[in-house]
Amino acid sequence: MTNRFIVRISSGAAFAVLGLLAAVPARADAPIVALYQGQTIRFTHVSQASGGLAVGVQDPGFAALLRDAGAWLTWKPGERYVLITTSVPAVVSFAIGDRRYDVGPIALQASFAPYERGNEVYLPLNELLGALGLALRQDGAVKILQPQLSALDVRNDGGRVTLTAHAGAPLHPRIVQQSADAITYAFDGVGTTLSGTRKIGTGGVRTLQISVSGSVRDPTTLVAVRLDAGTAVQAPQTNGDRDVVLSFAGTQGAAAPPQAVADESSPTPEPAPPEENAPAPSAALVTGVTIEPGDDGATIAIAVTGSAIYEWHRLRDPDNRFWVDIKNAQLQGPPTEQNGESPIISVRAKQNDAATVRIALSLDGPKPIAVTPSPTGLTLQIGGENVADTPRSGGGSLGGLLAAGGQPAAAVTPAPIDTSAGDATSPDQSAWKFGPHSGYVPTNPRLIVIDPGHGGSDVGTQHGGLREADLALDMAKRLRDLLTARGWEVKLTRETDVDVYAPNDSPHDELQARVNIANNAGARLFVSIHANAFINSGPYGTTCYISKPDDVALAHIVETHLAADGTKDDGVIKSHLYVTYHTRMPAVLIETAFLTNPGDYALLASSQWRQKVAQEIADGIGEYARSYPVPNQPAQ
Amino acid sequence: MRSTRLPVLLLLLVVVALAYWYFHSQRPASNGETIAVYYTKLDGTSLGDVRVSLRPRLSGESAAEHAHNAVLYAAVEAVAGPPNGIKAIRFPPGTRVVSATVNGSTATIDLSKDVEQQAGGTFGENGEFKSLVYTVTGIKGVDAVQIVVDGNRLETLPGGHLELDQPLHRSDF
Repeated sequence: MTNRFIVRISSGAAFAVLGLLAAVPARADAPIVALYQGQTIRFTHVSQASGGLAVGVQDPGFAALLRDAGAWLTWKPGERYVLITTSVPAVVSFAIGDRRYDVGPIALQASFAPYERGNEVYLPLNELLGALGLALRQDGAVKILQPQLSALDVRNDGGRVTLTAHAGAPLHPRIVQQSADAITYAFDGVGTTLSGTRKIGTGGVRTLQISVSGSVRDPTTLVAVRLDAGTAVQAPQTNGDRDVVLSFAGTQGAAAPPQAVADESSPTPEPAPPEENAPAPSAALVTGVTIEPGDDGATIAIAVTGSAIYEWHRLRDPDNRFWVDIKNAQLQGPPTEQNGESPIISVRAKQNDAATVRIALSLDGPKPIAVTPSPTGLTLQIGGENVADTPRSGGGSLGGLLAAGGQPAAAVTPAPIDTSAGDATSPDQSAWKFGPHSGYVPTNPRLIVIDPGHGGSDVGTQHGGLREADLALDMAKRLRDLLTARGWEVKLTRETDVDVYAPNDSPHDELQARVNIANNAGARLFVSIHANAFINSGPYGTTCYISKPDDVALAHIVETHLAADGTKDDGVIKSHLYVTYHTRMPAVLIETAFLTNPGDYALLASSQWRQKVAQEIADGIGEYARSYPVPNQPAQ
Repeated sequence: MRSTRLPVLLLLLVVVALAYWYFHSQRPASNGETIAVYYTKLDGTSLGDVRVSLRPRLSGESAAEHAHNAVLYAAVEAVAGPPNGIKAIRFPPGTRVVSATVNGSTATIDLSKDVEQQAGGTFGENGEFKSLVYTVTGIKGVDAVQIVVDGNRLETLPGGHLELDQPLHRSDF
């Protein structure tokens, strides 16, 4: 696309003049007053640019809209970038002078570039609203900011189908009709461009029918789900603060084999699903094709708005060609051809027939290609060791449909795809800030310092009447008694519920005081005992945290003994924790269990379990001491 | 003869200047490099990633400004986290990037005070900062991240465990 544009530019001054006109921003315009969720939003920093309406980022109406849409702005005067984090969450990125804008991983072209006037950046209004899941509609003389059901992601998970709905406003679905083989949800106050009937055929869900009723001012989007007999329907659940998840489980247990959409026939009395070459109620728009070079391949992002069926074909070596037809779609702008770096020779986009856009690739060799419906279109991953190859042909659908192969298909929700495949894509996490080992020799090889986490002015985490500081002290004392009985000299950093350094001291002074006790005494080992927590009740288990290479053996041995403590073994995790980082001897910070998890909470509340944990830590320390003796070490 | 050459020459110069300006200010952005926006999975340590593309350097954007913009974008992406459907350790609700600066190879990320609303355990704190540090150090030339909160350098978060008063590196996690 870029290369073609260069040719056009070099063809003459007419384009330069046109460009000059296109860039002339903006005269001040009358305010836009629109109704949004029952309140009036008044945009006063408005300009009419040549490509459409623009709104200033310091507009009070803009700020109110972001607040109500659950989004926020990152921008300061003088900054070139304007970043908006939506409720998805997805980051929408604009930049002064650049028509490109990004919604998560997808780069799109706006109708005009943001520009600066005075000390304020003006953004293209329509593109901004679309990214927020809104549309500006006209109801007579009144403008309406209508929330859009912008995505209905369908996921198939082993015989269970979930539909995740997202819109530019909080969703409150109500069930308006339910029978043994159908259920209809109404999303009040929400419009959509996703109307149509979609075949699902798995997980007990046969079809989805999406329609809009009501008025511009008070729309209702209806999602009718046709079910197999006996399909279990779960109550709608909120995922995050905006998404709603509808779940269904068929009686077959496992999902039906995926079928290509184009091969499906309609076994239901519902209106026929979209057929090839038969435009759906609203045609999709292919708005851009971008090439992202990678280390060992490339990613091609095809931006599509609206609902469409896609179908791909490939010719293997020596032809090495691939094309994907997006049906019921129109190409925005003229045909394009982009040349790419290896493995891509070229990428061409054209309107192949009245209702089909074709994206064709020429490759310089045989490469695996993965085709994935993305939240804003379609992603083609070319090459790379983690790319699983596609068959010779296949297809799927976009716009709230289930793609062939059971892959999630989404509409225009700007949600990135999780490209990770387990830990295979994780970066190298084996590096250490320190050398392999410090060569530390304890001056008191009999001494173990036990640090009950928190205490005094810092209670740590607390939940349901239990306080981390108390639990840590209890387990520390139990451990002390066990180790003392085995001949160790033990020192606790605190014996009671106090700050170690001074009352109401700073975190630094407090943690350094605990470190000093161990370092000044030349202790053999340092063991800090804690209870974990999280913002929800999901995570549970025991984790050993370390910071230095010297800590590894101690942590792994202790963790092995704690693996039988009755909760999940979460292993050893490296982190920059103050006490393990600054202690000179082998150290471990043990998060024994999660106070925020009901199962773990019950364990922490049990004195028997706390004794068991102390016993296992003591056993681990004993094994470590036998495995890694120091000169003149006392027999334990 | 000379009287006609000069206006033609001037016109040609104007045309060339306009074409040059138009090309450099209006062309669609070419594709830039991509970076991984990391998130820490609910095992507390392993990383997943979502790839986003960095905007190429724009006309009039200095190298220093471009580095600043790239770091700001990466940090905002990391703090936003992946879409709600992906299970990940997330920053406390409301946490925002107030600003980002680059000094040498160290990026300073100023977070809003909401980041102090931690659940209390090492689990969340470690996962949040690990994903932020890994993401921001994916920007070329950046190998350390200094965290500040509401403009202030902290020793740790209140009741926290991570040491924040010195830059964090990937090798810290």
